[in-house]
Amino acid sequence: MKFLKQVTDYTKGAVQAAQYIGQGLAVTFDHMQRRPVTVQYPYEKLIPSERYRGRIHFEFDKCIACEVCVRVCPINLPVVDWEFNKETKKKQLKHYSIDFGVCIFCANCIEYCPTNCLSATEEYELSAYDRHELNYDNVAMGRIPYKVTNDPMVQPLREFAYLPKGVDNPHEVPHTAPRAGKRPEEILEEMEKAKG
Amino acid sequence: MNSGIDLQGSFIDLLMGFGLPASLAKLLWIPLPMVLMLLGATVGVLVSVWLERKISAAAQQRIGPEYMGPFGFLAPAADGLKLVFKEDIIPAKSDPLLFTLGPALVVIPVFLSYLIVPFGQNLVITDLGIGVFLWIALSSIAPIGLLMAGYSSNNKYSLLGGLRAAAQSISYEIPLALSVLAVVMMSNSLSTIDIVNQQSGYGILGWNIWRQPVGFIIFWIAALAECERLPFDLPEAEEELVAGYQTEYSGMKFGLFYVGSYVNLILSALLFAVIYLGGWESPIPVGFLTNLIGVSETTPWLQVITASLGIVMVLFKAYLLVFLAVLLRWTVPRVRIDQLLDLGWKFLLPVSLVNLLLTAGLKLAFPFAFGG
Repeated sequence: MKFLKQVTDYTKGAVQAAQYIGQGLAVTFDHMQRRPVTVQYPYEKLIPSERYRGRIHFEFDKCIACEVCVRVCPINLPVVDWEFNKETKKKQLKHYSIDFGVCIFCANCIEYCPTNCLSATEEYELSAYDRHELNYDNVAMGRIPYKVTNDPMVQPLREFAYLPKGVDNPHEVPHTAPRAGKRPEEILEEMEKAKG
Repeated sequence: MNSGIDLQGSFIDLLMGFGLPASLAKLLWIPLPMVLMLLGATVGVLVSVWLERKISAAAQQRIGPEYMGPFGFLAPAADGLKLVFKEDIIPAKSDPLLFTLGPALVVIPVFLSYLIVPFGQNLVITDLGIGVFLWIALSSIAPIGLLMAGYSSNNKYSLLGGLRAAAQSISYEIPLALSVLAVVMMSNSLSTIDIVNQQSGYGILGWNIWRQPVGFIIFWIAALAECERLPFDLPEAEEELVAGYQTEYSGMKFGLFYVGSYVNLILSALLFAVIYLGGWESPIPVGFLTNLIGVSETTPWLQVITASLGIVMVLFKAYLLVFLAVLLRWTVPRVRIDQLLDLGWKFLLPVSLVNLLLTAGLKLAFPFAFGG
């Protein structure tokens, strides 16, 4: 009897396994009829989201060389080269640099900069042949990247969260179609209306 | 020759018509099937590699190869070309002879097995009386090649991978052979032609898949394991051994393993079609249709159509199975090596033995339905 029980248990297990594999196959087969959502990168690019933390932008003239960015940085990364100007009795900035090969893009420096001379750009294409090329000085960081939406060579695509309701493929709608949900200004308008 | 078209006879007749002596005409015929076999198998590999990539892409909502030729059709050819021009490295202190012999020993038997794959009544290179046996015998040469490759690489991971590959091939050989044996018993012949002929007559209803419901599942699982297809691609496990016995291989020697596994997959699919899905027979028998419209089965143009339909049928069935194998690849997670051996020895082997026994019993009890 014990042997029979073993056999039935074994058969049950086998049947169950077959059932699960069948279910799995059904799912995979169902995927065949879905359209690809591939972004064909050099020709199509995703528009970075609103609060995307890309390469850091630096404005030389706003910087007061307070070195707060160095202090809030997890690894003291920004290099601030300044000299005390005895005539104006102020620090004078000579050079500023951040090594983006080491930076983790936490944007703490941007958050704490007292004069807002640091800001995050949308740029994420930072590849270089030599990692030393990633050490950006104040001139390199002063450059503003070209916007994906302005580039005639690139078809801009939006991420899932920025698509209209019911659309899950960015290829299906133009990138100017309104996104799902209300925009902040619309909510504000409604609030004003409710008030007055 | 009984029915269908006789390619060899008509080719020799044609050459003799040009005034060649009969012996020379026969000599000219000899290399043709070999070249055809090589070409057919290679084109089959290219097509299945392309299909694999495209179907994988579709299952994952990607696009897959696109720029190399229309729909990326030339991607596998480009892959092959790249492998040809890559440097062939033989590791230091390895055994160069065994290292070179390994991939050859894996690939050649698989190509040889194409000898017995029938695409029609006479569209087979050799109608051997021991066809299926030859295939099983040839496929047991591959483990030796795998062991050689693993052993000669002078690398412990390759050695482990080779041992694993050999263990896997050997343990799945047995259920495979046993499940084929059940079919062989039903059709009273080891010849692939006879196996198909025995299934013909009733169209889709006569196929062995209905009489061997357990057998074909065992066959397919074992065949996937033999080809090292994905649920069973442990010899080159990504986590533990990185690439198993192929770790040290580069260039075309690596390519040979790759080609070997794909040729083996197509071969298994073709033989599955032959053994369980009625080979070149269409789901509705052609003879039945011709009788309906009143055309004699010996009409030349009908024979040409039937022959081409046969080729199409075999290829269609085989590629349907390749499609299933690709889908399985993205459905089923990889098993562990102990689970693999458990499945082979503790499940497939006893089940296939019971299946064989049941087939024998049914053959004695219902000789009309089980080929007495």
